[in-house]
Amino acid sequence: MVSVAAMDRCGDNPSIRILLFASLREQAGWSEQQWHWPDPPRPTLTPEQLWQQLQLPGDPQRVRVAINHQFAALNTPLQAGDELAFLPPISGG
Amino acid sequence: MADPLQLRINLLSSSFDPLQLLQRWQGDLQQPCAAASHFIGRVRATATDGEPLEALELEHYPGMTERQLEVLARDCCGRHGVLHCLVQHRIGRVLPGEALVLVAVGADRRGPAQRCCQELLEALKHDAPFWKREWQRNGRGQWITGNTPL
Repeated sequence: MVSVAAMDRCGDNPSIRILLFASLREQAGWSEQQWHWPDPPRPTLTPEQLWQQLQLPGDPQRVRVAINHQFAALNTPLQAGDELAFLPPISGG
Repeated sequence: MADPLQLRINLLSSSFDPLQLLQRWQGDLQQPCAAASHFIGRVRATATDGEPLEALELEHYPGMTERQLEVLARDCCGRHGVLHCLVQHRIGRVLPGEALVLVAVGADRRGPAQRCCQELLEALKHDAPFWKREWQRNGRGQWITGNTPL
């Protein structure tokens, strides 16, 4: 269920901000979108389910997930108002 | 209580002189370190396929990259009992020969200084959200999907 606190953060239209980076962004053809929470809300929603719904390219096991700027697992339950990022393989330094 | 770790992290969108930054950092320390370890990483002249490299593009995740660098630095410095740490990392377009990353660690002993510097460098290469794209002279760009061997 979408919590009252999450609804408050988003107003009347709870959503999740989804970000893509680098090669994944270019393969998908978009960098950011708001995903609006279904009505009635589904009991749980995970990054892996969103990956499938958005028909993102490739295997989700090959990317990393961040929720609100912290690494998270593909099966972490999402909350309305979250910022979800799919991160292709990192290569810093 | 004051934070015992003197930590300075910056993402830089233009070229920098790592030796100048090191000198400034050491001059700003509240107390001199008996041991310091530094790493400077520069952009190679060739791409991974051996062709001449025009430039390297560094993309990051604004907000998360800075946060993650701090998490990694605090964790690493805490484990090694290190009290001084500097991390400077380029973003944007970086030319061959230019400095890409500078990590400096100050400690009381060489062991913690060297180990912390190496571990932090490896941590940021694998766990801080940066992505590299190699640009060649023919205008072709290629995302890098991993790190060079140690």
